[in-house]
Order: sequence, then C-alpha cells, then structure tokens
Amino acid sequence: MSTGTVGRKSTSRYFPPSFLKYFKRKLKWSLKKEAQSSAVTPPSAPVPPLSTGSSLTKIEVKNKHNNSFTTTTPRTHFDTADSPKMTSSNPSQKKRRIALGCEGSANKLGIGIISHDITTGEATVLSNIRDTFVSPPGTGFLPKDTAAHHRAFFVRVAKTALSTAGIPISEIDCICYTKGPGMGAPLTSVAIGARTLSLLWNKPLVGVNHCVGHIEMGRTITGADNPVVLYVSGGNTQVIAYAEQRYRIFGEALDIAVGNCLDRFARTLEISNDPAPGYNIEQLAKQGGRILLDLPYAVKGMDCSFSGILTRADELALMMKQGKKGPDGEPFTPADLCFSLQETIFAMLVEITERAMAHVGSNQVLIVGGVGCNERLQEMMGAMAAERGGSVYATDERFCIDNGIMIAHAGLLAYETGFETPLEESTCTQRFRTDEVFVKWRD
Amino acid sequence: MATDADFPCALTLRFPFPDARLSNIALKAIRVDKELSPLVHRELSTVAPDDKTSTEESVLLVEYKAATNRMLRVAVNSFMDSLSLVLEVMEEMDVDVLEPPSAS
Repeated sequence: MSTGTVGRKSTSRYFPPSFLKYFKRKLKWSLKKEAQSSAVTPPSAPVPPLSTGSSLTKIEVKNKHNNSFTTTTPRTHFDTADSPKMTSSNPSQKKRRIALGCEGSANKLGIGIISHDITTGEATVLSNIRDTFVSPPGTGFLPKDTAAHHRAFFVRVAKTALSTAGIPISEIDCICYTKGPGMGAPLTSVAIGARTLSLLWNKPLVGVNHCVGHIEMGRTITGADNPVVLYVSGGNTQVIAYAEQRYRIFGEALDIAVGNCLDRFARTLEISNDPAPGYNIEQLAKQGGRILLDLPYAVKGMDCSFSGILTRADELALMMKQGKKGPDGEPFTPADLCFSLQETIFAMLVEITERAMAHVGSNQVLIVGGVGCNERLQEMMGAMAAERGGSVYATDERFCIDNGIMIAHAGLLAYETGFETPLEESTCTQRFRTDEVFVKWRD
Repeated sequence: MATDADFPCALTLRFPFPDARLSNIALKAIRVDKELSPLVHRELSTVAPDDKTSTEESVLLVEYKAATNRMLRVAVNSFMDSLSLVLEVMEEMDVDVLEPPSAS
C-alpha cells in the first residue's frame, strides 16, 4: 500500500480488493493545471492526412471494383496482394483506423472523425464539428424541439465533418453513435441518421456510452494515467474511478445534475443560454464575491444533492427581485447569487472528489463534462489537489462540452477490441450506467 | 380492410423509392425503434409498386393502427420526421453522391 494517504478504508464494501493495486503506481507530484489540450493530440483543426496524394487516392479507390487500394500515392501502406474489402478493416493492410462519431444526447449535435494509428494507437482528431441548439433566455431545451434541431442539422454537420477530415468513405471503419444516457427523442434522431449512414456506406455500427466517451477523450487529450474522474455536466454528475475493466461510480448526484442546477438557475435569472447558461453564470459570478449568501451544503457521504440548493437559490432570487436586503443589510445582485451558488456547489464537488481520491489513494483528478469548462471549478479542484500533492487535468471547451469526436474515439477503442452493435440492437436508452460498459481496451 | 376493434384508427402509407436498395435501407433504419405507446401498432415492409412497373420491392409500406385518432396522428407525424431525415441523408450522403464516379 502506498503511504501517506488519508482515510484509506476497506473498499470491499463496493469493489473487489484487487482494485487497490491500480492505485499503487507512482504518480506525478507536480501541480499541473491544464486548461488546454496537451500535446498528445493535435488541435481539432482540419488535419489532412496527405498533402498531394489524397485526391489521387479517392479517384483510384472508387474506380476499382475489386476493392484494392491504391498503390501509386506517396502514402502507400496498403498492399493490394490480399484484395482487402473496402469497407471492413483489415489490420494487416492499413496504417490507421478511422471512425465517425455522432453525438446528440442533449442540445449539442456533434459529429467528429478520429483516426487511430494501428501500430502506436496514437489518436488524431481529423474533424470535430458541433452545432448547439440554444433556447431563448428563461427557457430550457425540450426533447421535441431538440430532436427537430438535430434532424435539421445532421446532414449539414456530417458533411462538414467529412469535408474537413478530407478522407474518402472507404477509409472509415465504423460509425459510432451515442446509445445513451440522455434525452430520448434527440438520441433516437441521431441514431437514425447514424443507422442510415451505416446502411448506405455498409459500415458497422458501434453504440457508445456518453459518459465513457467523455472519460476516454479526457484521458487521451490530457494524458492522465489513472485519475479519479469527475464527470460533471447538465445531465450527469458522477465521481468515477477505473477498476477491473469497468468505470466504477464512486459517488454521484442523488437528484439532479450540477449542470442542471446551474442551467435552471440561469432560467430563474433569465440569463442568456448563448453559448451556454453555465458559461454566462460563470462570467456573472466573476463580478460577485462581495458577499457569500447562505445556501444549503448538501453532501451525503460520497454523494451530493442539488435540488434543495436550487430551491433555496430560487427563493433568494425572488427575494432579490422583491428588493429585500441580504444578510449584511445591503441589497444583493444576480452576481452575488451566481457567485454564492458556484462556490457552494463546487465546494461540494471538490469534497466528494477528494473523498474518492482518499478512498482509492489516487492523486490525479480528471474533470470532464460541460461543467468542467468552468475555470473556478478547475481552480478549486487544483487547490485541493495541490494540498494532496497531486494534479488536476482538464480539457478546453472543444472536448469538455458534448462533441462527436469523443463518441468516435471511445467507439473506435471498442471496435478495435472486436465490439460492434448489430443493427437490430442499435437502439437508444435514456438510462445507461457508466459501469455497464465492459472496458475491454484497458487492462 | 378489416379494422381491429382495439385499434380502430388506421392509416396506410406508401413511399416509392428509386430502387429496392434504398427502400430496404429506410425500412431497416426506422424499424429498429419500437413504438413508444402500447396503444399504437406499426408494421413496416417493402413491396413492389402497385402499377407493376417493376417487380423489385422499391415501395416502403407503412401500416399504422392506433386506439385514438390523436395517437395515430402523433405516431405518424413522428414517423414522417424520422423518414425525412433518412431521405435527406440518402439524398445528400449516399456513396455516389459524395464521391461521384468521375466522368470518363
């Protein structure tokens, strides 16, 4: 057992004891707050795989009905000897595997294309396109309207993703889509688009768990080895750690997600939803700080609860509108409310994350999900991690906020272990627990 | 057409496609999702066109029956939304549309 960890208690209540061996590894001890994606993958700007050869490749490939790959371009890694099928992957012939991922579980429609190098496994983002459905201030996004938005934009976003990536259809190995969790109608609308593409192009489908997508993308982008993951978004709030081929949930929100609490509070204050309500709350909170209003602090062991805080915050907002004074006798402003709300809920998240870190003896924290973009949360988590001699890993808004590339990435990882979703099973489900996924690609 | 006593409101739709491949793709893509309400039944199949212009099954046949007219309307509207997405994807992103065979 590694020494110096606080509060290590038996984990046999939740997880097998062999769980602990994963956290005995030596960890980085410098404080590293990474808001930008690390050098592991290049930015999601279009990265054409070839300079001059690509157009030639396309023409060659589609004219050959016996599906042999071109041999005349500079990038020739394909042997024509075995006439590989154009559509299915044939590892001995190819240099890289490519997946197209479609995400639409909430109000963001994202389609991305990723490639994995076959020998090194290095991931390259070829394109990452997203369109967000923004509802007017004071409203949230409803399933029916969100699904209509995704249907309306699917083709546009998909074509942009393809042209940005600059690859021919024949090079795509699989089509990945979000199986769940999320909102039913939007999920299904994207799944229908993905199924149609898979049937038209004759590619296998891979259903991906949204949470696992966030985790895998965060790990790859930041290079975090084996962190405790705080997954915080509008729909999910979970503290996750990996053990024995599953992402185990240590703690979670008992009622509503933290992002949901923030979004609904933004509705109360009628803050703009563009680009995201949480972002606007964050900016408004920066103007606060004069006073900290009293909000309930609802941590329940390893879990936390946000609906009570939201109720109280809504009450305070009503008091503010009615001109009542705060505890120090001065009227308080929306900025004070936003500041107080953020400080309270982020402190709760830091506490449950720290408890999980102590539980498993880990020093790395990876923050993923839309709320992970919040710099104040990253700052508070960083302060906690520094006290423990650890580090915080976070990505920027390209990968924090729901996107298609994370679905492509996680889907391709699964596909490479032989996982596929047959068409008849390519449904969507609103309840899809993170630990239901068998993580075969990690040991 | 004999109507089911439990599901008195019925509607049959026929969608002609250019060929059997496309009608089959539409069928497969949409039939995966079950109807949400137990009061609505749907049957999807592909058939040959009525006017006997060809024998290939290029027509998508959709048969809906529901307990009330309102449920029927809701179900059919939702089906049409899904189908229009399928059609748009076919129209703009089929293999020969994205990578047209070069005119030689």
